[in-house]
Amino acid sequence: MLVGQPIPLSQRILLGATCILLLIGAYTIWSETLSYRKREEVAKKLPPLESELQTIEAQLASNPNDDDLVQARQNLQDRISRVERDVLVAKDRRVPTWKTLYTDGLLRVTEGQGLKKNEYWLWDDTKATASRLISGMLAGVVLSLGLGILMGAYSPIEAFFLPTLSFLAKIPPTAMLVVFFILVGVGEDMYVTMIVFGMLPTLAIAVFQSAKKDVPESLIYKAYTLGGSDAELIWNVIFKQILPRMIDAVRLQLGPAMVLLVAAEWMVAGEGFGYRLRLFYQRTDMSVPYLYLMILGVAGLTMDYMLIFFRRYLCPWFGE
Amino acid sequence: MSEIVLECRDVGHWFGSNRVLNGINFQVAAGQIVALVGPSGCGKSTLLRAILGTHPPKQGEILANGRKVTRPNRDVGIVYQNYSLYDFLTARDNVVFGLMLDETSLLTRCLRPFEYRKLRNVHREKAMAYLEKVGLAKAAHLFPAEMSGGMRQRVAIAQALIMEPQILLLDEPFGALDEATREELQLMLLRLYQENREAKQAGVKPPYTILIVTHELNEAIYVSDRVLGLSQYHEGGEQGATIVYDKAAPVFHPGDARNFEEFERQKDELRNAVFDPEQNQHHAEYVAFWQNLK
Repeated sequence: MLVGQPIPLSQRILLGATCILLLIGAYTIWSETLSYRKREEVAKKLPPLESELQTIEAQLASNPNDDDLVQARQNLQDRISRVERDVLVAKDRRVPTWKTLYTDGLLRVTEGQGLKKNEYWLWDDTKATASRLISGMLAGVVLSLGLGILMGAYSPIEAFFLPTLSFLAKIPPTAMLVVFFILVGVGEDMYVTMIVFGMLPTLAIAVFQSAKKDVPESLIYKAYTLGGSDAELIWNVIFKQILPRMIDAVRLQLGPAMVLLVAAEWMVAGEGFGYRLRLFYQRTDMSVPYLYLMILGVAGLTMDYMLIFFRRYLCPWFGE
Repeated sequence: MSEIVLECRDVGHWFGSNRVLNGINFQVAAGQIVALVGPSGCGKSTLLRAILGTHPPKQGEILANGRKVTRPNRDVGIVYQNYSLYDFLTARDNVVFGLMLDETSLLTRCLRPFEYRKLRNVHREKAMAYLEKVGLAKAAHLFPAEMSGGMRQRVAIAQALIMEPQILLLDEPFGALDEATREELQLMLLRLYQENREAKQAGVKPPYTILIVTHELNEAIYVSDRVLGLSQYHEGGEQGATIVYDKAAPVFHPGDARNFEEFERQKDELRNAVFDPEQNQHHAEYVAFWQNLK
């Protein structure tokens, strides 16, 4: 096979599906093995109890009317049946089986929890996390695009902001969390501020570079000869020209924004995906975390594809 | 004689100690199609950018339609060699673009959407007429990425012409095109010149004034009615290029056969006066367009 040679769509789908199936298969084997070992581990308690029972049975055979022995046999039988039940329900929650994921994961997060049965974890967490993410992203995108385009259009603005932004972009946003906790507090405002400042340096620089590189100066000069004003140059030429690249830049920022949000929720939130993950991490119970990770992955993919469709709709000229 | 639409008065330009343009004086009258030729690196692009207004000259002044050029504006149109069209607009919308920018503003488009829609339909009809003129009516819905080089260059020309600029600058417009397309576009320029002549006969201002930069001498003589030579080889040995050649060129009608042998005399003259480093004396005798006219 030659380097760079394309393959037909059917093969592409087949190979992709194979990888997913392998992942699912590997997970199934791993989780079933772990649960089996766990059941065996619990089942080890049975033989000593059973041999004890046999001893009592033997004593009872020679001495059938000893009430103490009868009582002891009864207790032992109860203990054995308890252990037998434990063996049946024994679960390794580090890598839960699919069944456990359903019963202890999906059912638990969708059914009412708490004393009054009025906590619906999945719904509450999704609402909290999504509203933080969306308002943070919206504010961040609007500010970054505005700043980036202005920097691309006017050199003084570029000269003023670029060194500082380049410096800020190099500080890991998660390390900056401490600053936001202290300065903004730990209310809902903090998440929005944090996402805005987390994505602004990188996104603004990406937009600025695109505005410099992807708009040839001939297009700018020509727009002036066509009677354009400065505002029209910015909106009708620069913005329209780099719109698809800006949408792609926003797609790239989705991941970092989610990282930042989950990390902040992990530390200070009272609800949300990060908070719930931390709770179950402390109990070494992964039935809910794995479910949440899947939901996060699917949500990220969905947002990504929404942005791709958005770009195709707005910029049919751009191609893939 | 008809009115002067472009005038360069003692234009000079330099980069550091490197003098590029020196004492450039010439006038272009409405309706002329002027070819500008010169050895590569002689400063043609610098002069063109000065006329366009993006890089005003450091000495002297340039007047377009009697007003000094200080920044690019709608009096001077431009068509670049690399068919710079707006990628995000279809062929028709690229042509409409100038009318939209020129006749409406961002505010009115937002605040008076209904009036703007009416106006836009008018603009679109006008744009279609111009696309028809350059032979592209069928490709109106295509994006630049979907068009060939020749089609894009036609759209670029229609885009510039619809503004009816006082003067249109063509910067080596057909340099990157294949022979057949280039000839077709040259014919298009001849048809524009034909319209100029009809306008002159009718006593109105001719609509198209064009300054075309080219490195093809045949093209220069064929499409233009006047050839300007810019060269750093001139008498006195002063640094910086100046106008060393300015004479009328034979006028062709769109249907005429291309007899390039007729050009040979003028091409020899051009090679002598403009491209030959040795022949740098007495260039004044070649700058004779206006005297010959009288």
